[in-house]
Formats: sequence, C-alpha cells, structure tokens
Amino acid sequence: MNYSRREFLYGLGSSLGSVALSSLLQADEVPPSSFRLPPSPLAPKRPMHTPRAKNVIMLFMEGGPGHMDTFDPKPELARLHKTESKRTRGLETGFKFFVGSPFKFRKVGETGIEMCDQWKYLADPEVANQLCNFRGCTAESLNHPEALFHMNTGSRLGGDPAVGSWVNYGLGTENQNLPGYVVMTELALPQGGSTNWSNGFLPAHYQGTRLRPVGSPILDLAPPAHKSREHQRQFLDELAFLNEQHAAAHPEHRELAARMESYELAYRMQTEVPGVIDLDGETRQTHEMYGLDAPDTAAFGRQCLMARRLVEKGVRFVQIFSGGWDSHDYLERGHTSRIKSVDKPMAALIKDLKNRGMLDDTLVIWTGEFGRTPDNNKRGGVYSLGRGHNADAMTMLLAGGGVKPGVVGATDEIGAEAVECVHPIRDLHVTLLHLLGLNDNKLTYFHAGRFKQLSQFGGELIPDLIA
Amino acid sequence: MTAKIRTDRDLEVYANGHAPRHLVTLSPPHLVTLSLLIMFGIAQANAAEATDGERLFTLRVLPLLKTKCFGCHGDDPADIRGDYNLLTREGMLKGGESGEPSVVPGKPEESPLYQAVLWEGYEMPPKENDRLTNAETEFIRKWIAAGSPWPDHAVQLQIKRQQWSVRENEDGVIVDTSGGLADEWTYRRYRPADLWAFRPVQPLDVGSRKVANQHSLDYFIRRKLSEATFEPAPQADPRTLIRRATFDLIGLPPVPQEVDAFLAAWKQNPRQAWNDLIDRLLESPHYGERWAQHWLDVARYADTGGYSNDYERSNMWRYRDYVIRAFNQDKPYDQFIIEQLAGDEIVKRQKEEGGISEFPPSTFNLPSSELLIATGFLRLGPWDPAMVKNPEARQIYIDDVVNSVGQTFLSTTMRCFKCHDHKFDPLPTRDYYRMYAAFAGTQLAERPAPFLPVENREGFEEGRSHVERLLEFAKAEKQKLLNKQEAAARQWYREHDLSYVPPEERKDVPDEMKPPRHVGLNHIEQGQLKVREQDEWIWTRRLERYEPMVQSVYNGPDPKWLNARKLRMPKKVDQNVELVSYILTGGSLEAPGEEVRPGVLSALGLPVNSGADDPYVIGGELNGRRLALAQWIADPENPLTTRSIVNRIWQYHFGKPIAGNPNNFGVKGARPTHPELLDWLAADFVFHGWKIKRLHKLIMTSDTYMQASAHPDLESLRTSDPNNDLLAYFPTRRLTAEELRDAMLRVTGELNPTVGGLPIMPEINMEVALQPRMIQFSLAPAYQPSRTPEQRNRRSIYAYRVRGQANPFMEVFNQPNPNESCEMRDDASVSPQAFTLMNSELMNDRAIAFAVRLQKEEGGRRKAESERVGVLVRRAFELAFQREPSQAEQQRLTDYVQRMQQYHHSMEPQPETYPTRITRSLVEEFSGKPFKYEEILPVFENYIRDKKASDVDAQTRALADLCLMLFNTNEFMYVY
Repeated sequence: MNYSRREFLYGLGSSLGSVALSSLLQADEVPPSSFRLPPSPLAPKRPMHTPRAKNVIMLFMEGGPGHMDTFDPKPELARLHKTESKRTRGLETGFKFFVGSPFKFRKVGETGIEMCDQWKYLADPEVANQLCNFRGCTAESLNHPEALFHMNTGSRLGGDPAVGSWVNYGLGTENQNLPGYVVMTELALPQGGSTNWSNGFLPAHYQGTRLRPVGSPILDLAPPAHKSREHQRQFLDELAFLNEQHAAAHPEHRELAARMESYELAYRMQTEVPGVIDLDGETRQTHEMYGLDAPDTAAFGRQCLMARRLVEKGVRFVQIFSGGWDSHDYLERGHTSRIKSVDKPMAALIKDLKNRGMLDDTLVIWTGEFGRTPDNNKRGGVYSLGRGHNADAMTMLLAGGGVKPGVVGATDEIGAEAVECVHPIRDLHVTLLHLLGLNDNKLTYFHAGRFKQLSQFGGELIPDLIA
Repeated sequence: MTAKIRTDRDLEVYANGHAPRHLVTLSPPHLVTLSLLIMFGIAQANAAEATDGERLFTLRVLPLLKTKCFGCHGDDPADIRGDYNLLTREGMLKGGESGEPSVVPGKPEESPLYQAVLWEGYEMPPKENDRLTNAETEFIRKWIAAGSPWPDHAVQLQIKRQQWSVRENEDGVIVDTSGGLADEWTYRRYRPADLWAFRPVQPLDVGSRKVANQHSLDYFIRRKLSEATFEPAPQADPRTLIRRATFDLIGLPPVPQEVDAFLAAWKQNPRQAWNDLIDRLLESPHYGERWAQHWLDVARYADTGGYSNDYERSNMWRYRDYVIRAFNQDKPYDQFIIEQLAGDEIVKRQKEEGGISEFPPSTFNLPSSELLIATGFLRLGPWDPAMVKNPEARQIYIDDVVNSVGQTFLSTTMRCFKCHDHKFDPLPTRDYYRMYAAFAGTQLAERPAPFLPVENREGFEEGRSHVERLLEFAKAEKQKLLNKQEAAARQWYREHDLSYVPPEERKDVPDEMKPPRHVGLNHIEQGQLKVREQDEWIWTRRLERYEPMVQSVYNGPDPKWLNARKLRMPKKVDQNVELVSYILTGGSLEAPGEEVRPGVLSALGLPVNSGADDPYVIGGELNGRRLALAQWIADPENPLTTRSIVNRIWQYHFGKPIAGNPNNFGVKGARPTHPELLDWLAADFVFHGWKIKRLHKLIMTSDTYMQASAHPDLESLRTSDPNNDLLAYFPTRRLTAEELRDAMLRVTGELNPTVGGLPIMPEINMEVALQPRMIQFSLAPAYQPSRTPEQRNRRSIYAYRVRGQANPFMEVFNQPNPNESCEMRDDASVSPQAFTLMNSELMNDRAIAFAVRLQKEEGGRRKAESERVGVLVRRAFELAFQREPSQAEQQRLTDYVQRMQQYHHSMEPQPETYPTRITRSLVEEFSGKPFKYEEILPVFENYIRDKKASDVDAQTRALADLCLMLFNTNEFMYVY
C-alpha cells in the first residue's frame, strides 16, 4: 500500500488527471512532494472583456479626508467662515458654524487639477498629469465602520466579500506563491478590523491577507527560532508520509490532497513573502523617493514601495490603510500632518509605476470612506475648527489602469453635496470591475438563495472616469 | 429542442384560453381572492373578445417587460437609457437613439428587441441574473409574430381577471396570502414543487412500506439509492464509528479506554454497544457544549455589540450557558423557541396573572431569570446606534431581529421582502411588516436577573479584582491629566486677569473669556486623556459581568435617547403607548405606506388567531405580540419550523442538510434531496414531543449513519452523484475550529472540563493580543489571556467572542463572523492554516504538553532509548488517532524522533517573557501626530504560562515534533 507520490498524483481519476497535469506544468517551481489537484481557486482566469487594468492598489484614508481641504476648493466657505450654518443634514446638532479651509489651493499639471498647497510632490506635473479627481461619489453611512464596510465590501452591514476578494474570485492571481489580495495597515487596525478585507460568503481562498507592519508579516509565517528550514523540510516529509498512507486508505476523499498541497504552498510562501517585503534590494534613490528616510513618510512610504513590489510579483489587489483623517477639530494640524505623511510616497508610487511601465496595467485609487461637512459644531463650548462626517460628498483620486486624468464631477459651492456626475459607491465598484475586465452583473456567486454581486443589486458604469 | 416543444405547447394552452384544470376553491373566507371572484363573473363574459396575441401580451409579454425592461427603459421619465422608451407600443416601434424601430410587427427575426433578448448583438437585460429564459424569449417572438398587439387597460384587466379566477393551471398555482402591493403579485403563480416548504408536513406511512426490521430512515435513503441502482456502503468499522459518534455528539475524540471498552462490547453485541454508546454520549455534559455551538452559529453569538464602539455585552455569557443547559436538559424545541422570543413577556404575565393556562408548567414555572436570559437571543445581532438617528437605529435593530427570527426558526430569509413583495416566494412585504410590527415595542435593556444555582460563578472574585485594578489605573491616569489641565487653566485666568470659573460652568462663556480647550495639554496628553476616559467606561462596564444582570428586552415606547453603552429599563414603563406600524415602501422610513398590524406569514395558511377577521394578525396590545408570534412559530402545524429544525439536526450529523440551504427554504434555496424523509422526520419529531436527543438517536441508529465513508462503486458514484446527495456513503468532514482546539486539549490531557461560566480568554498570538485596535474614539485595551492554564484550557465555546477582534486560530479555521447567521461552516484548506498548525505558539505548546504527558505516563521505566521512543510513538498514536501505528509508521517515526533528538541537542530555545506593561502608539485625531501611552497588563504579573520549548529538554522537544506532526495530519483533522 505504499503509494508513490506520482501514482497518487495520476491515480485521481481521469477527470482530474488532465487538469492536475496542466496546472502542474504551469507552476513556477514544483517541489518533490507537491500534490496538484483541480486548479487552485486562485489560478489566473480570463477576464470577461478586454481589461484596462490588471492590478489594483487602493490607498484607503481611514477617517474621511475633507474634500474641501484636499482637492476640491470652496472659496465660498472661506467667506462664510465662523458664520452660523442652518444646515440640517448630518448628525451634529445645536449651534453650527461654517468652517473655511485653512489651506490655499492652486491648479496643477496639464489638466488643471486643483490641490491644496500642502500637496507638494503630488503637484509635480509628472504625477499630477496622471491623476483623475472624482468629486461625484456619494456614500450612505455616517459612521466609520459602516462607511468603511460600504466602500470595501459594497454593503454597509459588514460581512460581504471585499472588493479585493471579488477581484480575485473573478481573475485569480498571477503568483501562486503569494496571496492574491494583500492588505497593509498601520499598527492599529482600521475600524471594523478584518471585516474590511473578509472573503464574506466567497470561499476562504479569497480573503485578504494582512501583511503586518511590524514583527512577522503574516501570523505564524516563520517556525519558532529553534526550528531550522531543514528541520521543517524533514517535518513536512514525514508528514507527507503519514498523509500519503492515509490518503491511500481513503481514495474517496479528495480534500486530502488539497490540504497536503496547502502545506507545500505554505513552505514556498515562507521564502517568497520575506523576499518581497525585504526592501534592501531597492536602490538608495528609491528609498529616498518613497520617503523611507524621513520619519513622517517612512511608514506609508514603505507600504507604497511594498505595494509596487507585490504588484510586480503578480499580486492582484493591494490595499493600504492609513488612518488619522477624522478631523473633527484642529483640522489644520491634522490634515497638514496626514497629507505630509502620504504626499511623497503616493507621488513616488505613481512615478515609479509609470517609469516601470506598470501604471497602464495598475489602477491606483486614493479614497476615504466619506467626505466631510462644510460646517461644525462647538466642542466644550469652543469654536472647534474641524468638520463632521458627510455622506453626500467626498473626493477621491484615481490613476493609471484606463482612467482618464482630469476632474470629474463637482460638489456644490460649499461642498455639502455632490451635484455633478453623482454616483453612489456601487457605481464606483462597477467601474472598477469594468476596468479590470469584469462585469459586475456577471461576476456573481450563489449564496443564500440569490446570485450575489459586489454592487448588491447592480449599478452603473461611470463612463466619465474611463479614458 | 425538447424545451422548445414544451414551450410551444405552453403557448398554445395559453393563447387558446385553455381549459382550467381546477377552478378556485375558496376555503377560508377571508382570503383576498374572494372579493375578486365576484368581479370575475363580469370579466369573464367579455374576455372572449380578446385575441390570442392580446392574451399573450397581457399575461406573458407585459409582465416580462415590467420586471426586466421598464427599470431602465420607462419607469423614470428623466432617465430613459438609450432614449428607448418601452412603456408604449409607439415607443417600442420608434426604437432608441439608433433611430431604428425595435419591433417590426409580424417579423420577429427583423426585430432588434427580439435579437437583444436572445443576447445576439445587444445583450438585454444586461444582468446574468435577469436574462430571459428560452420560454420567455419565445413569448416575445410569438407576440411579435402575432403582430405585436397592445390592448388597452380595460382589455388587459379582463384578460387578467379571467386568468386569476383559475386557481391552478399549466403555469402553476396561486397562493393565498395577505396580498401583495399589486394584483399581479397577489395572483402570480408558483410551480407546486417550489412551494414544498410552505405546504403542510405530509408524512408517509413508512410502517406499511418498509421491509420488516428496516430502520424508517433507511427506507427513504435506500429507496432513492435503489432507484439510482446503487447499493449503500457497508457498515463502518467500530473504531471509526466510536470516533464519528463521539465527535458528533460531544465534539471531542474518544479516549483509548473508551475505544477499548466499546470494541469489547461491540464484539458481544454490536447493536447494544452502539445504543449504549449513544446513550452515554447524550448524557455527557459535553453534549450540550457541542450542540449549543451549532445553535450559536445560527443565532450569531458574540460577547460584544460590534461596529465602532464594539461595546461589551457583559452578561451575554449567561445566554450561551442557557443554550448549553437547554440541550443538556433536552428541552422540548417548542419551549426553547417560546422562551427565547418571549421569555420576558412570560415573566410579566407570571407577575401579573400568576399563571397561564396554555403553557406547560415546565415553561411557566421557570425562574424569571431563566426566562429573561433566554431572551438574550433577541440581543445577539450587531447593533450600535452611535452616529445614527434614533428612528433609523430602531429600524436597523428590528430589521435585524426580524431577519434573524426568520432565518433561525423558519428558514426564511426575511430581508428578501423588506423592500418589495418577495421576488420568488409567496411572501408579501405586508407580512414582513406584520412581523416587524410584532417587534415594534421591543426595547433593549440590561435587566436585573438573580443568578441561578445552576449558573457557574467560578472566578468572579479574581475577575472582579483584575478589572478593578485596571479601572483604578485608568482613573488615576485621567486625574493626573485633568489636574495638569486645570492648573494651566488657573494660570490662564491669572494671566488674563479674570476670575477663575470651574470647568463645568465654562460652557456658555464666550471663547475669549475662557482658556482654550485642552489648555496646558500638548497633543500627546490630549490623546492620552481620551484613552483614559475611554478606558474608564470600558472597565466600569466590564464590572457588570459580575452583576446579576442579563442582556434582555422589555416592551415599551422607544426611548428618547439610545446609547448601546448603557441600555436600562426605565423604572416606570409607559404601558399605554400606541404602536402604529406601516409598510415602509422600499424599506425606507421616509416612505410609510399602508398601516399594518402585527402578524405572521400568511402563505402557510396557519392562523395565529383563528377567531379574528384576519386570522394572520395578532392583537394590537403592547404586550403579548412576541408571545403570539412565538406560539405560532412553535405550532406543531407550522411546517417551516418543524422542517427547519430537523433539517439542521440532520445536517450536523451528516455534514450536509436534506434541504440545501438551512436558512432559506424558499424557491431559491436548494430543494430537499429527500423531501419525504424531511417530512417524516418533522412529523415524527413533533409527535414525540419536540425532543432533540431522541432525534439524534433515531438518526444515529440508522444504517445510513453507520455506513463507511468509502464505497466500492466510487467511480460511478462520482459521475452520477458527485455531491453524494444519495448518501451512498458517509460524508467526511473536517473538524471545526472549536473541535480542533478542544480535541488537542483532550489528547494532551490539558482540557478543563468545567461547564459554563464567565468567558475565558485563551492565549492568542501575542502580537495580536497586544496589537492596537481602533474603536470609536481611541484604542481598545489589550487582550489579556486568563491567568492560569486551568482557566484557559476550557472548551472553546467559552472563549470570549469579540466582534472587532477575531481569535486568529479560530478565524483561520473558519469560525464564522458573528455578524451573519452561519447555516453551514466553510472548511476550505488554505495555506495560513498550515502556518498556524506548524508554527504557532498555540500548536507548539500543545505539542510540548502532549510530549510531556507521554513521557510522564511512560515514567522513564524503559532503559533503552529506541525502545522507549517506540513505546512513546505507539502511545501517541493511540491517544491522537485511537489506533496503533502500522509497522512502517512505527519504524519511520521512531527513527524520526531519534533524529530530532540529535537536532535538538544542538539547539537552545530562548525563554519567552511576558510584558506587564506596554507602550502604545496611536495617531492623534486632532493633530494627526502619533502619540504614546502606557497600558498595564496585570495578568502577566502572576501569570502561569504553558510549558515552552525552553522549559523542556531535547528529548521532549524531539517527541513534541512528532506530537505536532500528528496534530497536523489529515487523519487527525477529518472525521470519517
């Protein structure tokens, strides 16, 4: 009963044999004890139509950046500064007053996209010419986790699959030795935690894998310090021996081989992942460009550089969360420092992708979960210069991946509501899938009695965003 | 081809005014059909004038256009896609922006509309979900061929009324309900087979059909198998059977003595041995722990409320233990339903009336604490009204609870008819809002409920003093900052020559007359202050765990102010509140439609109040709504309830349900593979008093349950029955996350079998335990594991469940997210599982504990190293796999352990340390700058850690490598 691995591999019945063989031939590296089975759920799949982008890097500004303090200037607000606001939308009650932006604005690049003066690197025409500023998106929820869930999963309830999960479900991923959907956060998780990158009702293969900013990048990636790689190889060989004995006695049970394969993949990932996050191989100049040498920009810069490396290695969807944008008070201090921490790394990412010819295939999105209000209420009886949560207007940047540079949509003169090219989040999702060659209406998964889709019940394409 | 022929015949039947199979027979007089029947008399006389084409249009084509096309091409005059308006024949003839007519009457092949619905050229409607079937495109073709007639409304109405007067025809059957928002919905037709779940349970008389001595369940399974010309698999061997049964009923592996005893008994009398084994397991207190977990998956148990604050629901553990008790006591399921949905209403009646005749004394005489604890079910959903307006927060709660009640007890996804009448099932949105109204007065509260003698109150003192310590620390740190702030404020007043005003009086003083906010505190201190303030209430709230309180509900008016941090029942609840409920059009609070009274699902034909004018409506009083609903759900005649529970129990035994979607029995759920079996089980279950333990035994004593997991005819079965729907062999399943952890603890001998009590904190990856986690205003405090191994090594069902912080081990093994009801666990094999199983501290600690146990039991009696290792390997196999190793395994692994001894001799693992304080860093909201603060971790001051690699010698570490390997095998991971 001592089945050899080869016999095991080919003894799976004709229906599986050919598939197994083809995926075996595809693999980059085939270690001796690899048991290939039906194509991995993450194997690359053909898009539904000609795609404009292959990969996505999503920069998520948790807390909700003020659109009127970043890319959507509102001179009218400066005029109304500290005068009473009678607006009734939003949650703040009691006396409210308008808040003008503390920042000056200017037009940059060929498209004349507007930016506040805190954006120094993004304003470089080489970068700015690539950017699309979309001002028409509207959210629904006024509280952080619900709004985060909505932007990340299409449902504000939390628990549905994340955008990155849907994309991997639709397209698979190029590199089978890395996860297809990678998430990077600060030390603190964003509100709602891993629900923001959950596979929801999709199979567990599609869940986002978090690369941790300190310590082991993936939990338990490395064995305890006193166990060497050679020790682990021996362990895996003996384990394979036991599993093969067992599999031979249970030919009816196909899941066994998939589970055995998952160990070999884990073994490969143990070297692949540290390789991709080790930035020592990047030039001094690259480090400097991403701001790795300065304390303000080092953390986000490191993640942006890692994002580029991950996409280069064939990771389909990379998401970076950066918090601290929830400026209810002391807006000037807060946004100044937040902008400073992301400006240089973002600009570097876009330039770097462009120089490497990757920007055409890579869709970069910069967004928060909602925008901010033109007014605020007092805190502790003091005029606090900040803003509340606003689901009716927000701002985002898109670049690369088939997106048309320039300004799309508009908000009203105080930034209270989107008024031109107004689209709910689901339309953004439909458009994002479209750019990747996926049709939201066809990218469905049967769950709980219904074909579910990212947009929930369908949405519209936003043609204005597409080049 | 065949489909087309059938379609043509359908069309003819349709177009020729067809002879009705059955005329409407109106049974209960209240039904909506009644009033219309009178009108039909008039309608029928004129309908003969309508042409076949007109009929086809009215009955087939127009409804299709309405559901599939008008949404984008007509409904919104401001937004007509492609400038193509389908609302009128003229619009259709004119076509869209291309200028080309979309329909050429009489010539379907030249009509772009017809081509588009075929998805040739254009693809319309664009969604795969909406795409027309062959039969539907045929209707369009025939209608165009007939000259595309478009009769006026009067003729349409005549045609429709004539058709509605026929209860059942080729298209299906009309179901009587409380009525949809439109007649089209009310009179739409269902294929009888799609209505299986709504029909009364109809048990076959098995006794007269089955062969003598055949188990009733086997009759159903065998019948289908033999129709498919397959034999059932042979019986599994007794060693497999005891492992299967033990995991199944108590979620743990058998210990070697139990296996030996069972094998011996099996030799004597297999049937008797098997019966005794089942009885023993059902009597084990661990039975309740295992089966309560299934219930908690569906009900969405967690110890916190989720969303931004993720407030602790400090007494939720009492509900978890209630469920464990209910299973262990074999509480009749109907009683279990009523207690959870209306326990508080029963308590109220106990107090006011002293007795309710319609209840068995077992329910009514329960202590009020038990009944209030049971209503914790109504508190399980994620909910937080922060930053949500009150009415919407209430709506979110009621929507959630209605859906949860529907899914849990009725296997009905209620969300599907919240915004409109159900697209597929006979569930009008009116019924959704009737059920919604049953909860309209349900308010959430932590209520006083004295501890019961049966509740485990171990660890209260240690827990309380631990929390008090943390609370004192937070308070002291806060005070330091406030002192500093006030000193600066005084200074400011002095500098501005103003007389000092205490902070609480400063609110209305103009800005220039008072010190700035946070005076004297830099951004670091401002951030710290926020953290300390938050910690103060977190720990204050945590202390409620030890109070005789319970997460429950009461009936009353909506509170003016909602904050999930503290939800208390007012001293005096206004009982005269008048609750008015409406159909919320499109699910929107801003669009109240028709008023509704509380009620139940009308499609079942099961009255909730047979004396009333509308038998599906509950009285409008504030109290008693939920009780009436609960009694209706628990009615022996309720086919959804009874099928739902037996289907779930079956699913947990076989790893697959009879009806494929245990939370959705509607048209879109998977049909039952064995509908007659399902009905027979449901009837039998009710007949024998709704007893779940009896049902377990019934199922487990069948040959079907006792089958082997392999089958001699596997190849052909794989082709003809790839999902094993026939149950020709026993389905294999992977251990759940909880079983995996619990099984290891049992094998290593570490499991503390205490039942019930406060949530325990198992060790989790230290980096996750200490990792900062954002909640509403700041960071949540660190996760501190329980102090001693005995406290930690309890069964996993007792582990603290935080919605915002999953236990990484549990999560990677597919413990479901508690925000959604989980009808069935996922068990995909993903690589992170391998990382966890090979590398995690949790696993390596278990391996060392296992190795230490083996060595201790061996006692160092054997001198020769290879002999001793051989004995240890053998024993490890017995404990982990309940079998001896084969010769090859014995030899190879003994050799492996000895090789590893060599390896480990050259290694010196470093000891672990546990911090008693940590420094945290966070970006401060106001300044956008990071700040730091210290947090104390008192648990680690006196911590008793698990044995680590550095605590044991090379021999033990080498043996632990083997132990870890056994835990990693497929043999350990799967149940056959």
